[in-house]
Parts: sequence; structure tokens; C-alpha cells
Amino acid sequence: MKLTYALQTTQAITRPFSVLPYRLTRHLNGYLFLLPAIIVFALVAWYPIVRAFQMSFQEVSLIGESKNVGFENYELMKKDPARKIIFENSIEFASWSILLGYAVPVVVAILVREMRFGKGFFRIVYFLPSVVPVSIAVIVWRFIYDPDSGVLNEFLELFGIKGQLWLYDPKLAKPSIVAVMTWGTFGTTTLIYLSSLLDIPTELYEAAELDGASPLMRIRHITLPHLFPIMSLLFVLQILAVVQVFTEPFLFTKGGPGRRETLTPVLHIYNRAFGRADMGYAAAWSVVLVIVLVAFSAFYQIANRRIAARQEN
Amino acid sequence: MDRGFLSSIELKTPKGRIYYGVTVVILTILALIVLFPFVYAFTSGLKGSLEVFNSGLNLIPQKAQWHNYRDAWEDFKMLKLFRNSFIIVTVSVLLRLTVSVMAAYSLSQLKPFGRQLVMLAFLLTLMIPSIAYLVPLFVTLGNLPIVHKSILDSYWGLWIPYAADAFGIFVLKSFFDRIPPDITDSAKIDGASSFQTLVYIVLPLSRSIIIILGILSFMNIWKDYLLPLLVISDPERQPITVRLFYVAKDYGVNLQMAAAFMALLPPLLIAILMQRYLKAGLTMGSIKG
Repeated sequence: MKLTYALQTTQAITRPFSVLPYRLTRHLNGYLFLLPAIIVFALVAWYPIVRAFQMSFQEVSLIGESKNVGFENYELMKKDPARKIIFENSIEFASWSILLGYAVPVVVAILVREMRFGKGFFRIVYFLPSVVPVSIAVIVWRFIYDPDSGVLNEFLELFGIKGQLWLYDPKLAKPSIVAVMTWGTFGTTTLIYLSSLLDIPTELYEAAELDGASPLMRIRHITLPHLFPIMSLLFVLQILAVVQVFTEPFLFTKGGPGRRETLTPVLHIYNRAFGRADMGYAAAWSVVLVIVLVAFSAFYQIANRRIAARQEN
Repeated sequence: MDRGFLSSIELKTPKGRIYYGVTVVILTILALIVLFPFVYAFTSGLKGSLEVFNSGLNLIPQKAQWHNYRDAWEDFKMLKLFRNSFIIVTVSVLLRLTVSVMAAYSLSQLKPFGRQLVMLAFLLTLMIPSIAYLVPLFVTLGNLPIVHKSILDSYWGLWIPYAADAFGIFVLKSFFDRIPPDITDSAKIDGASSFQTLVYIVLPLSRSIIIILGILSFMNIWKDYLLPLLVISDPERQPITVRLFYVAKDYGVNLQMAAAFMALLPPLLIAILMQRYLKAGLTMGSIKG
């Protein structure tokens, strides 16, 4: 009690608004420190989020007044010939990304964890591509992929594989882009798995070994179950990230190589908003995209919980 | 004793040795694949303008043309590009850290009325993908509410959006929450104001987390492409990520590679030098809040 008493009297002498009751100044003070964050968030996040909904019902004019058009933008979306292709592209991109990149970090993390030397070396090497700006990496990669003089075709020729068009091939463009994305991100994911692996108490492995479990059984019954919650989370995060990809298809193929083989939702939003200055239509697309993504992750969470509950029974 | 799913004794058996050897080979091949684009950019940058097209699998140039790097440095005006990026990123990081530290300090220590609601409003921006409000953000920056001024084509148009970082506020708040209240209380008894407590007590205690957040922010903002592409249209002021790609195709491939390699160096160096902090930072998401 004595402590509180001393604390309040000294406060009363030094605090700036000493005429006001202490409680009020404490709250005022608190908001004074919050003010910069609140201003910034209001300006670049909260207000734009509200505006996104508003704009999706408007024909937006940057100079004059915007006109309310009701659901016209959403009606237009239904007729958009790109809609179906974008939906299919997103699913294909996500599938390729899971196929090429989902298991790699898990395997690599388990292998690196077993290293007795050089753990740090592999960790930093695999992580390096994640710090590289995508636009710079694209300059290098598009030359690697070059159909005529690219090193990739030359390398495949060693094995008698015919040169491919890669980014210019409507079929190969998606996996080629996903490969670069995987190169750029798998190191970060590996680090996350690795730090989770280090949490496994080694006593578990020792006990399993004493009980005669083979190394593969130890992975199956100790390592993987431990990683599973993170794997499940990263699965959905990876899909969400891939569906929102913009920079790679924008810089590599502009949505091409033909008309729309690598057109992604965000690229389409960018084209509509900044290519055709149709901001209201782009806002409608953004709103729908976010609703779809949120619905997907909610559905995934529920399904996940159901499965987990069933396993426990 | 350090062990994984294999014990040290098992590793010394013939089977264990084979397994270990295979692991080393796999990881080394993977490391070579991962590093290949960097090496390729470096050596291609040393080749002649024709050699670079028909050198096949020869990574090593016949005769290293070191002047390519000087030419690329001057042709691409790399110094200016680096400087633009550096100004954008440094101010953004400082602003972001200041805003986040103050907000987190308030939420964690001053605990004003309604703080849960404010925290929720911050975290909301983590849940909504930023693409949702990219278009209205652009419109807002072009015509700020109330003052009706445009900050497009000015660095403020990047500094302010980058200053908002809900993840940083959240991490800092959970860190500040673990500072023993005795320390801050004794500062108050000695007559320190909230500001003095923040600067002299809380900040020195949380130096490590602030450094980690600073490095992560530095690298993420340095990498960003879409926002600077939209906000800065003046070629004299664009950051390296936007400008270098745009002008690259006007030059020979060997110069492109030389420029790309030079542009890759700063982030790589930061990653290597700061790996001690990065290791802690990247797994920060799993910190119990």
C-alpha cells in the first residue's frame, strides 16, 4: 500500500496535466502514444478498407464526383470472360506450388536437423534467395529460361532432353514461374520447420530407440506428428500467398505468354485499375477475392478441426 | 548430447555412415542449385556481349571483362538507384519502428481505456490481405482526406504506408508485456514520465527485438515492388527494384547480369552479416504472445 501511495504523489507532482484527475491523464497519455499509429493505420488501412467496399458500388472518377452504380460492377464480373480462366489459373498455380514446393522444406529441414556439422551453412544458403528482390531475380531467371541461349536448355541437352520454350510455352509457363517462387521462399519455410524440429525433446528419440523403433518409424511417429500443426498452417498460408501472386507473372509473362495463361487475380485487378482506370470494377474484384480467400481459410480451419477431433476419438 | 532421430552411435555404423553421406550429398546439390543464379549472374556479367549468348554450359568466361561492371554501374546509374532505395527504406524503417514502439508501449504499459479494441483494429489489417485495399489506398494517397493533397510521386507516399505494421506492434507488445513491472514502477517512483520510462528503461531492455524487427523490415521493404511501382512514377526517384527491371532490356544481357548481381549484393550481405538476428526473427511468429 505504501508503494502505491508514493507512486501516486510523485506522479501528481510531475505529470503534465496535474489539474486533471490521475485516471483521466493516464488514458490521455496512453492515447497520445497511440496517436501516430492510429493516424497511420486509419490513413493507409482502415479508411482504404472501407473505401474498397464503397468503391465497388461506384463508377470511380479520380477528378470529379464518383457515381453510385449499385451492383453494376458485380454484374459485370459475371460476364467477364477472364473470370473463369483466372479461377482455373489460381487453382493450377496453387497445385503446382504445393506439388513443387510443399514437401521440400519439410524434407530439407529433417535432413539439416541430422547434420552434425555445417547446419548453419545450409541454413543461411537456403535462406539467401528469400532476401532477393523478385524484380532483380527475374532479370537473372528469364535469361536462365531463355529458349535459345539459356543455360537450362543447354543443361537438359546433356541428358538428351529437347530444348523447351519455358516461359513462352503456354503449358510450361506456370510451373516455370512456380519454380522461381519456390526457389525464393522455401528457405524461410525450412527455417520455420527447423526451429520446430529443435523443440522435440531428444529423450523421445532415445526412448523410441530403446523400444526398438527404426529410424523411419521414429520419423513417422515422433517427427511428423510434431511438425503436423505447422505443416497444416503453412499449407493454407502457401495457397493464400500463391493465389495473391503478382510480381512474378507480371514481370515474367505479363499474364501471357498467349492471352491469359498466367493471369492471376491480382494481376487482373492491377490491369483493370491502372491499365484501364476502372477503379470501381477493380475494387469489386478485390472484395470478391478477399471474400473467397477468407471463406477458403475458414472452411479449411473447420475441416481441419473436424479431422483432428475425429482422430482423437 | 546433440542428437536427431539418429543417435551418434547409429551414425557410426556402416548404414549410418551411408545415410549421412547421402544426406550431405543431397543437401550440397540443393545448395548448389540454390546458389546457381547468383554465380551465373556474376560470371555472365563478366562475359563479352556475344560470348554470353553462345557460351553453352561454360560458366567461366574466356576472358573476364571486368569493365562490364563499371559500364553497368554507370549505364544503369546504380549509385542513384541504390541511394533512392536506401532513402526510402531507411526512413520507412525508422518511422515504422517509432510508430510501432510507441503504440506497443501504450498498449502494454500505459493500458488506456479501450486498448483491446484498438489492438483488434490493428490486427484486423493482418487478417485482410493488402490487395483488398490496394486500389483505394492508391486513390487515398492521391487525394488525402481532409487536407486534399496528393503524396503520390513523393517519398511520403511510401514512408507512411510502410509505417503501418501490425505484426511489429503485436511482437513488441508481447515483448514489453514480459518486462517485470517492478522495473517500470521504480522508474515512476523516481519521477520518470511515461516518455522517459520508454526511452531510458523499456527501449534499452528491448534492444534485441527492435534490431530484429528493424532488419526484417529493412529487407521486406527493400524487396517490395508493387507499391513503389504505383506510387513513384518519376524515373529519377524510383527505387532500384522498380527502375532496374524497367531499363534492363535496353542493354546487353551481360550488362543486365552485371547490374543484377550488383543489385543482389546488398541484401545478400545484410542477410549474411545479420544471420544471428535473422534466425531469431524468422521464427518469431511462433513466439507465444
